[in-house]
Amino acid sequence: MSKLLEVKDLAVRFALPKPSFFAEQPYLEAVRQVSFSLEKGRALGIVGESGSGKTTTAMAAIRLVQASGGQVLFEGDDLLQLDDAAMRQRRRDVQLIFQDPYSSLNPRARVVDIVREPMDLMEIGDMASRTARVRELFELVGLRPDQLNLFPHQFSGGQRQRISIARALTTNPKLLVCDEPVSALDVAIQAQILNLLARLKAELGLSYLFISHDLGVVRHLCDDVAVMYLGKIVEQGPRDALFEDPKHPYTQALLSAAPSLTGRKAQGYVRPAKLLGDPPSPLNPPKGCAFADRCPLVAAVCRD
Amino acid sequence: MSSLLEIEDLRVTFNTRYGEVTALDSVSLQVNEGETLGVVGESGCGKSITALSVMGLIPMPPGRVAGGAIRLNGEDLTQASERRMQALRGGEMAMIFQEPMTSLNPVFTVGAQIAEAIMLHQNVDRSQAMRRAVALLDRVGIPSPDQRARDYPHQLSGGMRQRVMIAMAVSCRPKVLIADEPTTALDVTVQAQIFDLLNEIQREYGSAIILITHDMGAISEMADRVAVMYAGRVIEEARADDVLDFPQHPYARGLISCIPALGKRDGGATDMLAEIPGVVPPLHLLGAGCAFADRCAARAPRCELEKPHLFAHGHHPVACHAVEEGRL
Repeated sequence: MSKLLEVKDLAVRFALPKPSFFAEQPYLEAVRQVSFSLEKGRALGIVGESGSGKTTTAMAAIRLVQASGGQVLFEGDDLLQLDDAAMRQRRRDVQLIFQDPYSSLNPRARVVDIVREPMDLMEIGDMASRTARVRELFELVGLRPDQLNLFPHQFSGGQRQRISIARALTTNPKLLVCDEPVSALDVAIQAQILNLLARLKAELGLSYLFISHDLGVVRHLCDDVAVMYLGKIVEQGPRDALFEDPKHPYTQALLSAAPSLTGRKAQGYVRPAKLLGDPPSPLNPPKGCAFADRCPLVAAVCRD
Repeated sequence: MSSLLEIEDLRVTFNTRYGEVTALDSVSLQVNEGETLGVVGESGCGKSITALSVMGLIPMPPGRVAGGAIRLNGEDLTQASERRMQALRGGEMAMIFQEPMTSLNPVFTVGAQIAEAIMLHQNVDRSQAMRRAVALLDRVGIPSPDQRARDYPHQLSGGMRQRVMIAMAVSCRPKVLIADEPTTALDVTVQAQIFDLLNEIQREYGSAIILITHDMGAISEMADRVAVMYAGRVIEEARADDVLDFPQHPYARGLISCIPALGKRDGGATDMLAEIPGVVPPLHLLGAGCAFADRCAARAPRCELEKPHLFAHGHHPVACHAVEEGRL
C-alpha cells in the first residue's frame, strides 16, 4: 500500500514570555519527536487527554501551525519545505473539519456560499460548475437542495457538521483532518455523522487523520491508533492490537477509565487500575518519562 | 416505604415567543437514600429542567410549575417559601454543575467559597468554617489542602475545580445530591476519579444521587436505576440492568445501540452504527401524538394521535403504544 502521509520527528514549540530582557528565550515544547504514517484510504486516530498535543500535531502536519523541526511527507513532497504557491496548490488535497459546528460556519453567509467558497478561493471551474458541485455535495452528505439558501442558524448541530463536511469535500481532497468532529453532538446525532464519515471513506477512498478523546468513536472509525501523552506518542498500532492488548500503562489506564456498558454498578463493578492526579504541566515537564508520576509500574529508571 | 425524594406528575411550562411551552409533562420520579438514579436523554429533553425544578432554581417568570408536587421527606417543595428553599438548598440538597469554572466565583479563594456555604447552614464562625473547608478539600482528594484552600479557581485544573464543587456540595452532608453532567468537561481519567469520589461520598453519607448525563457508559457504572427522558417526558424507567440489557422504548433502544462500542466487536472498520434519524423536535411543535413518532420505525397511526403514557410493563414502565400492543 502507498503512504499518503508520513510524519517524521515532528516537533512544535511555542515561545513563552521572557522572564527578563537578558534571559534566554524559554519555549513550551508542545509536540516532541512525533512520527507516524497514514496509508491511502485508511484512518489514523490520535487519542489523548486535553493538552496532550493531538490537535497541535495534526495542525503542524498540515502546516496550519509552524513546526519547529521534522519532516511531513505528503505523497513524497515535504510539506514543510514547500514554498507558498506550491503549498497553496497542495491545500486542495488536505481539508479540515472542526469540532464546533456553531463557530466554524460564517453566521452571515448562506450555506451555498459557505460550501462554494473553497472553490472560489482556489479558482476551480466556473460559477455554474461550482454551484452544480455544491448541489451534488449537499446530496452526498444528506442535506436537501431546498436548504441551499438558508443561513447556518437555521440548521441543527448535526446538519451544520454535514455542511462542514460538504465544504471540506469541495476540492476533492485526499486527506481529511477531523478535529473532534462529533464531540459537540448528542449521541444519536453522533452516530449519524460517524456513519456518514465511514460511508465517505469507503465511497471516495478518503484518508482521515481523526483526532478524538472518545475511545469508542476511534475504535469504530479508525484503522490505526496513536496514543499521545504530553506531546509524545506513547503507543501506536493497528486498532485491534492496541485495544485488545494495550502495552503502555497509560493506554491501559485510558482504556479502563473509559466508561462502557459492560461495567455495571448493579453487578458490583469496580474499575481496575486507577489513575491518580492530573497530567504534568507542559511548561515544566518532568525529567524522564512524563507519565512516571501517575504510573502504577514506575521504577527508578523511568525518572532519568 | 415512601421515597426520600418524590417527584409526582410534575408539569413545568415556560412562556416563550411561541406562547406557553410545556418543558416537563407529567414527570414522576423517586429516589431513595443511598441510591443513584440516572437520568438520560439528548439535549433538550428536560433533564436539567427536572434538576432545576427540584432545587427551586427555575427562573419564574418565564417558567412556572403548572402542576404536580416535589416531595422531600414528605414536604412539598413546590409550595415551600423562598426562605425555606434557601435553607434546604446547600443543606438538605445540593447540586453539582457541568462547568466548574463558571460555577465558582473567580474573585474569591476556593476555601472562602466553601466556608461561605458552611457558615450559611451551620452555626460556626469563620475560622471554624475555614478549618472544615480544608478538611473537606482533603476529603475530596485534593493534595496539600491548606495551600489549595488559598488558591483562586483559575489556579486549579478542571478536575480539581470539580472536586471543589463537590466539596462545597457535600459540606452539609446533603440527603439529595444532584449532579448535572458533572464530568462532561473533563478528560476520561479525571472523569473516572470524579465518579469514584461520588460513589465514596454516597457510601459515607448515604446520600441519594441524581446523575444527569447523556453518556450510557456513565449510567452503566454509576446508576442503580435509570429514567430515560424524551421531549419533557419520562418514557422508560427501570433498574439500570434492565434498561441497558432489555431497553423497551424504541428511543431507548436507539440510544443504546448507537454508541460506538469500546469492547471487542466483529466486522471491519466500515460497518455502520445504528442511527436514530432526525432530531429532537422543538417543544413548541409537539403535537397531540407521541413526540418520538417522527423518528420511530415502529410508528403506527395511533402514535400520531394519542400520547402514550407510562404503563407497567413488568417492573419496567414504558410509554410506548408499540410496546403496549406487543408490536415491538
